[in-house]
Amino acid sequence: MSAARTISFRLNGALVTADVKPHHNLVELLQTHFGLYGARESCGQGLCGCCTVIVNGRAVSGCLYLALFVDGAEVATVESLDANGQLDPVQEAFIETGAFQCGFCTPGFILMAGQLLDDHPDPDDGQIKHYLSGNLCRCASYPQVIEAVKLAARKRKGN
Amino acid sequence: MPSKSPDSAKVGAQVGRSVPRLEAREKVTGRAEYTHTMRLPGMLYAKLFRSTVAHGLIKSVDTSAAKKLPGVLHTVTIEEVRKVIPDPYYGPAFHDQPILADGKVRFVGEPVAAVLSADPHVAEEAVQLISADYEQLPAVYDEVEALTSKIFVHEQLKPAGAFADLKHLKGSKGTNIALEYRLRRGDIDQAFTTAAHIFEHEFRTQKVLHLPFEPHATIADYEDTGVTLYTASQGPSFVRSEIARLLGWQENKVRVKVPFLGSGYGAKLYIKLEALALALSMIARRPVKVALTFEEMFYQITRHPCTFRIKSGIDKDGRIVARKCQVFWNGGAYADIGPRVTQKSGLTASGPYDIDNVSIDSYALYTNVTPAGALRGFGVPQLAWAHESHTDMMARALNMDPVTFRKKNILREGRPHATGTIIKDAAVEKVLDRLVERMRWSQPLVQGAGPGRRGRGLAISMKAVITPTTSVAIVNVNADGSITLYCGTIDMGQGSDTAMAQMVGEVLNVAAETVRVVQRDTDVTPYDMGTLGSRSLFHMGHAVRRAAEDARDKLTALAREVGEPEGSNIPVPTLFVKRYGMQAGNIIGTGVFKPDYVPPAPETGLSDNVTAFWMVSGAGAEVEVDTETGHVKVCKLVSVVDIGKPINPQLVDTQISGAALMQLGFTMFEEMHIDGGQVINASLADYKIPGFQDVPDAMENLTVDNFQSNGPFGAKGVGEVATFCVSPAIANAIDDAVGVRLRELPLKPETVLRALLAQAGKPLEDA
Amino acid sequence: MIPFDLAEPKSLAEAILLLDPDDATVRPIAGGTALMLMIKAGVFRPSKLVSLRSVEPKYSSISASDDVLCIGSLSTLSAVERSAEVRAHAPLITRTMFTLSNVRVRNVATVGGALAHGDPHMDLPPVLIALGATITIVGPKGERGLPLEDLFTGYYETVLERNELISQVQVPSQGSKKAAYIKVTTGSADDWPALCVAAVLELDGKAVKSARIVASAATAKATRVASVESMLIGATIDDALLAKAGGVAAKEAEILPDIRGSVAYKRELMRVTLGRVVRQALNAGGAN
Repeated sequence: MSAARTISFRLNGALVTADVKPHHNLVELLQTHFGLYGARESCGQGLCGCCTVIVNGRAVSGCLYLALFVDGAEVATVESLDANGQLDPVQEAFIETGAFQCGFCTPGFILMAGQLLDDHPDPDDGQIKHYLSGNLCRCASYPQVIEAVKLAARKRKGN
Repeated sequence: MPSKSPDSAKVGAQVGRSVPRLEAREKVTGRAEYTHTMRLPGMLYAKLFRSTVAHGLIKSVDTSAAKKLPGVLHTVTIEEVRKVIPDPYYGPAFHDQPILADGKVRFVGEPVAAVLSADPHVAEEAVQLISADYEQLPAVYDEVEALTSKIFVHEQLKPAGAFADLKHLKGSKGTNIALEYRLRRGDIDQAFTTAAHIFEHEFRTQKVLHLPFEPHATIADYEDTGVTLYTASQGPSFVRSEIARLLGWQENKVRVKVPFLGSGYGAKLYIKLEALALALSMIARRPVKVALTFEEMFYQITRHPCTFRIKSGIDKDGRIVARKCQVFWNGGAYADIGPRVTQKSGLTASGPYDIDNVSIDSYALYTNVTPAGALRGFGVPQLAWAHESHTDMMARALNMDPVTFRKKNILREGRPHATGTIIKDAAVEKVLDRLVERMRWSQPLVQGAGPGRRGRGLAISMKAVITPTTSVAIVNVNADGSITLYCGTIDMGQGSDTAMAQMVGEVLNVAAETVRVVQRDTDVTPYDMGTLGSRSLFHMGHAVRRAAEDARDKLTALAREVGEPEGSNIPVPTLFVKRYGMQAGNIIGTGVFKPDYVPPAPETGLSDNVTAFWMVSGAGAEVEVDTETGHVKVCKLVSVVDIGKPINPQLVDTQISGAALMQLGFTMFEEMHIDGGQVINASLADYKIPGFQDVPDAMENLTVDNFQSNGPFGAKGVGEVATFCVSPAIANAIDDAVGVRLRELPLKPETVLRALLAQAGKPLEDA
Repeated sequence: MIPFDLAEPKSLAEAILLLDPDDATVRPIAGGTALMLMIKAGVFRPSKLVSLRSVEPKYSSISASDDVLCIGSLSTLSAVERSAEVRAHAPLITRTMFTLSNVRVRNVATVGGALAHGDPHMDLPPVLIALGATITIVGPKGERGLPLEDLFTGYYETVLERNELISQVQVPSQGSKKAAYIKVTTGSADDWPALCVAAVLELDGKAVKSARIVASAATAKATRVASVESMLIGATIDDALLAKAGGVAAKEAEILPDIRGSVAYKRELMRVTLGRVVRQALNAGGAN
């Protein structure tokens, strides 16, 4: 009934192809075709942020994004951040401030924090809370995440 | 003692350091593997068909259309399960829960059938094609009603072996009471007659649930020679023994592996999906994965709603002379660990108070809703909600400052708890004093004149760690001096791996970061009762410490064996070379820990040694109430806890703040809305949990200086303690702000506004 | 999810031809956030989705003249949030975007989708109605224009035929009008609202010259509170008038109860929020 289609796109910098059906979402595509599990489906409603993926430079909820929609796009996942074996400043900051517990939501937070710092290199607490308000953490690491983002901002500036 | 480094320098204290989490890199890079996203070759996916009826007899289940869908390999009901597991019932306290509904459904959402396919979408589509016919039965939803109702959720009780004191209940019929715990101390009736004042109140808590972001998931890989389960579980040892029991196998043929756990908070204990995954794998003769969606967690396990009737007698000096507690726990359709909540937390119902005459009746009730089990706090938040609200109400009625009233009555060191156990290392007064200081209690609070009114409140509480339990640990010193730790505690984000590594490092003089903690695997990691109830740091900590000490002693013996002089600083690798001629061999240290315990007497609930340690908690809140809409803003939340000596201060801080914020959600807005047994808000869109904007502007997470004398390095558990007092502290603050007293949770704006308007004589009129 | 087909037309006209006026299982998809929720909840079982993502770029452009701001219906909410034209022409929209759902949703959800969905809990409908917005609807027979408030007929119901699409939103110039929007949540801070009210007012000296007050979330659809608008026009706003107006709004609104509030409570919220949103508009809110 629904035919599979071949898509091609850039994934973490490399050109790739995949056969997908219309009802497959982006998280499924990344996990089943490419073995990338950093984006996880949790709430399934785009509210928790565990499924965050960067498409054409902007964060999207992978659980609500049809896989076919990344045809011809640039896709970046959390795995792209330490591709050369070095941790990204946001990742380092999260470790130093202890801004995670079980870790399930952490990749989503890290990608969103990166987006926030791209838009606002020196955010205050209010800006951080607002920009990340779409990322939930059941372990409630929120206060530590705020510190992590501020530390990451300093690291990015080279302080 | 032999050292690792050639210059034999001491690496310094490991305990007390804020060591970054050992598994940090895996988590921030997204490479940590969780069961929910694991795949095995040849694996099938299971999707579940669930009951839409709260209580009913199953007349028929029609899977014929589902079977015909291309890609469907099996459809399974209890009939097929029985062919592979003849007695398909499980549960930690009662073997009352069938792997799939058996002749009857007892709550909306109970799994009735399963579909297996290599494609999860096909399985999902096939479930839509299954239909069932039920003869509906009357249902009971409320815990107090269930006590005397003639609607019985279970035809007869089926106690498991785990609770020796439940044996007498076997075969009991005509009741919804799964367990009754009673405590009788002194002469309560007499004491009430002498009281100058008597206060009696009732408090209720709502149904809430854990919602770990990694939903429950289990992959069972059954073969006739052995079964391996990959499961998101906080207690792999229990899973192994229960699966072995269901199969009639030796435990060593069952292997349970737990990769990273995407949190649990108590949701992932005992048996959840493991028995079902096992049966399906046995039927399919292939690995089968059962992984819940977020929504399905609303049909798996929740916290216990609770009605607590509390009555206190106060003498003319403001001392509590008598306290009677009746606690009704709404356990849902299957008992899970409810009986233990009823008993082990029931015994703290009277609070952290020094009362000579106490009576507690604590009941675990069956009802026709999703089963309730362990959730961070294990019943104590519901109890503290009642006794701390009650305490403030009495203080106000007596025109006493709530702190003064508490100080007159708190338990102090050396005094007997209601159970008769003498209080030791429970810093109740220190916690209260620190709370008072941080809340600036002696200074007046500006209440405000506009629609926003400010107020403040506080609360204190305590919990007894579940006792007795057993933990075993193994420390392996490798030939190069590196150390591997084998222990069954599950690090679900609370940092136990790191803390255990610190304890090993402290004993063996190595940096915690160098210790490798192996993945949980019951073929490898020894027995542990479970990661629950804040027990691990203390119990497994002792086992780990003992194992490290055993390894240290064996290294010393080895040095002696190879002829080293006493006090030699020979590096460990050299020691092995001396012994084995090359880099070879291991030193294996083992440690076991089980604390002393005196079981409560069945008639009185009294015991001289009821718990290995007490957790003590205090919370203070400053709120601003919008008197026109009922919205409550928590401006400041202070948590003060007694956790003994912090092993890792940064981890301690996050546990306190995380627990307090989780409880904030349970206090202010979380609620399962159930209508005729149906959960109508089973999704994150409609069941809201705290986000950034819900975090109070000011939060303090404090520990008091205390040394747990029987704890490893003076430490004790920290995971739950900051949950206990948040709800009553906020309700007490609302009372302070606007003079209304709320007795039910959550404290949502409509509830507050209704109370405000009712008090003003202008109640909201419902047409 | 149950399998379905996906069509990816290259023009709006082609998309409209792919939609079937009589087949409820064929629907357009733009950002997809709201639609995917419905599919996953099992509320909507599509046989085919018609993607609007590859149609002409003019449908995602934003432009403004002195008189009117034109927002292509396929503009993402993020694009609207960042748009200098929107901020200059109708800053209330920019302010509203700030608290509309979350960044990830705004990055893919479109203006057209937000309106066509007919969800009374969404922020854009009451805000745009209060600003006097109109829309262009395209169907097989051509285009028609409509005041936005006439789009909604009921709970998740609009006048759109199954093969009609919104192509553009027009927001007239706001002159010296003052505007504000309040969203009241009763669960967590980022919950769907129990009630939202948008107010756009024009003053002539101290008297109200024009008023558009739109309530939503507690009602089946975004609804202009006409009786309050009449009360305010020509009057000088003071506490007494607002108290009275709040009472009228509370009494007359057709309120739907849900887990976020009972009828009685939402009426009370309406009574209070009416006054608050008008005061907020007068004190701070420039619509332009």
